[in-house]
Amino acid sequence: MSNCIVEVQNLRKDFNGTSIFRGVNFRIMPRETVSICGNSGSGKTTLVNVLSLLEPPTQGNIFWQNENVTNANSGKISQLRPKIFGYIFQQCNLIPELNVLENLLFPTRIISIIKKSDIEFAKKLLGQVNLCGIEQRNVSTLSGGERQRVAAVRAMINHPKIIIADEPTGNLDVKSADATMDMIMNLCDAHGSSLLLITHNQRFAERMQTSYVLGNASLKKLSDHL
Amino acid sequence: MKWYIYLALKQLFPSGKKISFFSAMSIFGVALGVAVLFVVQSVMEGFQHNIKRMIVDTQGDVHVDRQRIICDGDALVKFLQSFPEVEAAAKYAYGFAMLKRGNQSLFPLIKGIDVAKELRVTGLGKFIKAGNLDNFDCGGIILSSELARSIGATVGECVEIYSPAMLENMNSDEVILPKTLEISAIYETGYHNVDKSVAIVPLDILQDLYGLENGIHGISLKLQTGISPEKFTFQLNDSLDESTHASSWQEMNQDLLFVLKTEKTMIFFILVFILLISAFSIASSLIISVVRKTREIGLLSALGGTKKQCAACFLMQGAIIGIIGSAVGITAATTIVKFRNSIVALFVKLCGVDDFMLKFYSFANMPAKYGVRDIFSVAIFAIGICCIAGMAAAMQVAKINPAEALRNE
Repeated sequence: MSNCIVEVQNLRKDFNGTSIFRGVNFRIMPRETVSICGNSGSGKTTLVNVLSLLEPPTQGNIFWQNENVTNANSGKISQLRPKIFGYIFQQCNLIPELNVLENLLFPTRIISIIKKSDIEFAKKLLGQVNLCGIEQRNVSTLSGGERQRVAAVRAMINHPKIIIADEPTGNLDVKSADATMDMIMNLCDAHGSSLLLITHNQRFAERMQTSYVLGNASLKKLSDHL
Repeated sequence: MKWYIYLALKQLFPSGKKISFFSAMSIFGVALGVAVLFVVQSVMEGFQHNIKRMIVDTQGDVHVDRQRIICDGDALVKFLQSFPEVEAAAKYAYGFAMLKRGNQSLFPLIKGIDVAKELRVTGLGKFIKAGNLDNFDCGGIILSSELARSIGATVGECVEIYSPAMLENMNSDEVILPKTLEISAIYETGYHNVDKSVAIVPLDILQDLYGLENGIHGISLKLQTGISPEKFTFQLNDSLDESTHASSWQEMNQDLLFVLKTEKTMIFFILVFILLISAFSIASSLIISVVRKTREIGLLSALGGTKKQCAACFLMQGAIIGIIGSAVGITAATTIVKFRNSIVALFVKLCGVDDFMLKFYSFANMPAKYGVRDIFSVAIFAIGICCIAGMAAAMQVAKINPAEALRNE
């Protein structure tokens, strides 16, 4: 049995009788970096949502750490998901009522009790993305780049196996986008997480070890940069 | 602390701010509703309590009467006093008579009492506003305040009393001499029906006026503290013969008590709308918040929150608003109730209607009464309504598909 973190077999998702994708097979190994490219509306986000069971597949099987979770109950999925996936979204999705540190620790609060070591880990991560000393700041006072870095740190807080970055640089200029991409890759590398990048940016896609393209309802392996 | 309670608290009291505008307005709305409801209920309860106390003080706990005149009054009193629940018993008789002072005459209800025993059964002594009862047994009469005012009588003056039998005989050639009695005291209960037109005379005088000999119309009972008049009456009626009947003060005044209870219920019903309006405003604000935070709700699911937990976060916001609003409202209300007399005095002074208010509504001593049970019932009601408001938002959350929520712009 392989030690892949996630694997999908013959995955299919229909919406209103139309297939968004079908026959999708792929796996993500530990520390692997993977990109999925595709045009707008091609179903990239839907694919990662199905992969992390935020929505159910129409057909196919999904394995998380070799366990078939396709038909697992929502309680079990909710328990497992934060241990396997960390999310970075294009729009950061920080909670405006919480300060930076509270935002960072919130994923931990959902799955367990916050310990002193969690706070220290959050501060260490902030240091790794050059955001020391902003723990008590309100997120509304942060710049776009700072917010994205805080969101990246939040994704790492529960030591997930995979970071799903859904167009994380979509709102940033080229310089900031490069810096943010470097930061995400460095964080994943430093903490041994795999990275699944959803992007339009061919340049960023080529930096991943494996690239897929989603189009015409099917997923094709574009290249293997290993 | 569960994360959804933590987030609910943070959404109401965000980090870096003391309180959000929405929270402040919602809590204020609930507090206002709770305070108004509680103050009005307390004052209503106070009025009711005073009226009930006054009824008991003027009538006693239980009355025993017969379909005809009671000729064996002493034996019946002895029998009634054999019950350990009975603290005191007093005989009485009553009837209408013409009361005349100078050229002014009225037809009040005249009640004949044995004053020494009556004082043990009712609170007559504490209602005396002028005069005293020292010479009452020696041909005295006590007038109710409004009756005295109507005929312009004061303590020490004499009034004449004509019984119906005397008035009937006036048509004949026989000379009828009225009973002349000296006004010993004037009493005022604050209860209009009693104060309006009642005169009290010694029992033997009334028996003489009506030709009752030793007959009486009834016996008033005072029960030991803690004994329920209704329960005792039920028990007592089993021991009495069919022609003799015991009635509790509640039974004798059931119409008045029903009106008081209905009045309180109606006021509660009307004031509940204030809380309902608050609840609707909370529900609409929370539902708007759900729409505004759709992406955040998707994020919570992605981070491991279940739909129930996400819904609970909004339900908790309603509950927290209800709890804080109730606490603030009840604190404000109890303070208002505590200083009610000062507040009313200030109000009537500002309006310049103090004499009128004091004279007719006794507002200088506004009654109020509440207990722990009242506090809890109003608070639980308010929290319940706020939870329902939160539930409306929570139901919206439960319908949200996390994946669609994350795509929400």
